[in-house]
Amino acid sequence: MKDTLTLCSEYLTDAGVDKFQCVLTERKHHEMNLEANEMSLVRTNVDSTLNFTVIKDNRKGDISLNSLSSDSIREAVHTAVELAGVSQQDPDYDISPQQETAVFCRGPAQPDTERMYAVLKGYAASVPTIFPKVKLAETIFSHTVVTKRFINSNGVDYTTHKGVYTLVTVFSSKDGTKTSSINYTSFSLCELERELLDCSSLRGLLQQSVEHLDAKPMRGKFVGDVVITPDCLSDLLSYYTSVYLGDRALITGTSILKDKLGQVVSSPKFTLSARPTAAEIADGYFVTPDGFAAEDVTYIENGVLKSFMLSLYGANKTKRERAKNSGGCWVVEPGDKGLVEIIAGIDKGLLVARYSGGNPSANGDFSGVAKNSYYIENGKILYPVSETMISGNLADLFKSIKDISAERIDFGAAILPYVHASGVTVSGKE
Amino acid sequence: MVIKNLGQYSPHLAQYTELRSQENSVLNIAYVKGNLVQNVKQSTAGISARVFCRGSFGFASSADATAITEVIAAASRNAEFLDARENKGRAPFTPDNPHTERSFGTKKARLTQGQIMAFVREIDAYIAKTYPTLSSRTVSLSCIDMEKTLVTSDGASLYSLLPRSNVRVSLSVDTTGGPVEVFEAAGGLGQFEDNFTSPEALFETIDKLHAHLIRKSEGVYPTAGTKECVLDAALAGILAHEAIGHTTEADIVLGGSVAGDYLGRLVASPLITLVDLAHTFDGKDCPMPIYIDDEGTAATDLAIIDHGVLQGFMHNKQSARHFGVKPTGNARAYEYFDEPLIRMRNTAILPGTSRVADMIASIDDGYYLMKPSNGQADTTSEFMFGVVLGYEIKGGKLGRGIRDLTISGVAFDVLKSVTMVSDDMKWSNGGMCGKKQLIPVGMGGPAIKCKINIGGR
Repeated sequence: MKDTLTLCSEYLTDAGVDKFQCVLTERKHHEMNLEANEMSLVRTNVDSTLNFTVIKDNRKGDISLNSLSSDSIREAVHTAVELAGVSQQDPDYDISPQQETAVFCRGPAQPDTERMYAVLKGYAASVPTIFPKVKLAETIFSHTVVTKRFINSNGVDYTTHKGVYTLVTVFSSKDGTKTSSINYTSFSLCELERELLDCSSLRGLLQQSVEHLDAKPMRGKFVGDVVITPDCLSDLLSYYTSVYLGDRALITGTSILKDKLGQVVSSPKFTLSARPTAAEIADGYFVTPDGFAAEDVTYIENGVLKSFMLSLYGANKTKRERAKNSGGCWVVEPGDKGLVEIIAGIDKGLLVARYSGGNPSANGDFSGVAKNSYYIENGKILYPVSETMISGNLADLFKSIKDISAERIDFGAAILPYVHASGVTVSGKE
Repeated sequence: MVIKNLGQYSPHLAQYTELRSQENSVLNIAYVKGNLVQNVKQSTAGISARVFCRGSFGFASSADATAITEVIAAASRNAEFLDARENKGRAPFTPDNPHTERSFGTKKARLTQGQIMAFVREIDAYIAKTYPTLSSRTVSLSCIDMEKTLVTSDGASLYSLLPRSNVRVSLSVDTTGGPVEVFEAAGGLGQFEDNFTSPEALFETIDKLHAHLIRKSEGVYPTAGTKECVLDAALAGILAHEAIGHTTEADIVLGGSVAGDYLGRLVASPLITLVDLAHTFDGKDCPMPIYIDDEGTAATDLAIIDHGVLQGFMHNKQSARHFGVKPTGNARAYEYFDEPLIRMRNTAILPGTSRVADMIASIDDGYYLMKPSNGQADTTSEFMFGVVLGYEIKGGKLGRGIRDLTISGVAFDVLKSVTMVSDDMKWSNGGMCGKKQLIPVGMGGPAIKCKINIGGR
């Protein structure tokens, strides 16, 4: 019996399409769940998904299905050709050119279920002991192994085997009728050597959750300094790259950085890379969605914009260069000051641990609540704040960076420091 | 394709088990500035089982529709893995065995892919021709059909087809302060053929949206601080969902939600009655009608707040047993490979007696806030919503448009400040709620007049 991709490519060739790409993804997922600090569920999923794209007469259609019988694939090919046939012509649709066939491997291929249970149970036991006021809400500890094969009609043939453990944990604290804001974090691991509490930023976030039982509104309003934590920086980087560097921002022309390639767009202290193939990244990737071998890319180097984050289509459409990866796996270079030293230099500011806000507008204006955050005065953290808002502009924020911490948090899917910036409007209660 | 006769596998359900066959079919089309950037069909189908073994759950799924007995066995193994280590020794759930078959699929002839594409393209062409000075425009169509069958070892059974189709239009203009954008969505429960008769029927909506865009582009940034505001239905709905609804999901209550301390207490103005409706309101289908949930429980309406008093929480079977109440039918799963979680269905504040015009006229200095972008809330009921459309209210009259802003507050405090509730009811029904899994939900209500914190620049 022919394998799924061979069958699919034969049907596509028979259908007379000009170009195609096919991706077969086989996924085995094993997870254990804590609910209200109690082991509640073991869940396993096995799935195979076939995605393919056809281009005919510069018209394109995309299909995804997980029923992989020959009849289902034949029907899906017919549907894809129909989808393409009614779409508009666009000469910028394309697939990746021939590249050397390669196989990529990363991470554990099988879950160690006994060890998974032991470390999750250890986490569930440790939290009430060390942080008795913390309430664990939803906690999901999973192992996922994905085998993905990418082929296209130009002869590209990539296979990726990737296994990774991931923890997602959501928590708050409660003491009598006092309740702290909810907080959460997630991180990825290739090995289960350490206890979960000792990974990433988890222990510090749980401690902060307890401290936020006594959060109070900040009074008044000021424009000043903020220190953005690594957890919060992760969200802001997603906004920044989407609003200024991605396909939609460049195709629509709304990015205010669209003419800034090679120019200074941020503080010279800021260097941002996406390193999906680096050994230090547990949850990376090796092939882009449009069929290129991913490379590690520095997007901003010492404040200078070195690359947009354009796919093949985005690059063709905007007549710019394609990015050598599809972003994510962010690594920000560390600075030379410790967090304590950075905070010691701030007269009045906010340690921003989580941004709960609306999506930034097309020019990068943002406005939201600074959750799980702390008021800083005269070089010291004074108290945890509630009902405190921050607003500003993303481009201005990254231009205003004064310092970057020497410490960084390894999330498995990113490695990020604390960032000290200025010019943010901080408003508390009147 | 879903398996209709799952009941034949009942003899294999040795312990408390939910067996589900489900297919989600998706069509997404998107034009950005006249470029077709998305033209995707997606089908995700499979089988899942969830087994309850003395207090521990095991879940398994497979895309292979012939692997039903293997999936049941895998779910049993997972439950027994946990039971062997946790040994909770809990009794099975109280048996319940409702039955229903509900299809909200169209009875009209299905349109071809070409006809649907032409519809979307015609809307894009209308915008391009009518408003040539726009800096950008996006027209997208999102359709999803959720079809499932469910049987449980207690004898409950369900067949449902829940479709939803939405057209979303966003328009942008450049200003000296950068691009300004507005958006509008149409559609809701039902397949494309039932929700969209002709492109021309949407042109008036687009014209109104463009008028809002112009006023917003000429508008001002709001002044930060606590202001009297009228929150239109879309914002009142997201307040009900995000800031109150989530805090009253029983699993969140067990996780430390502030609502756990408030049961039976006055938490809002007596003008506020807030409900999570199962399937019907005022004789009409809700945006996401649920008759039997994914644990096989008959779904019932839940009064969360009744005339200002917190009355109840949303439950699945396990949380209902913990709290000593009946399950409410709020256990829902998105894809076949997802386990049911406690989720909202159709969450809304019920209408009052005031008119929106009178509510605006009663405010000397405030804002009329009309449309949210996104929203978040936490266990304290502290929330924030992005607002992308609104106007100043000066001297009881609408004034200048306002730029994007964020509003925030503590939801129970905001609801205590409500002094007027409008007499109309609008649903926004394109929303997806995120909580481990996505799930389509309905949210809505009337407009409310309240005090709220405005985040300015």
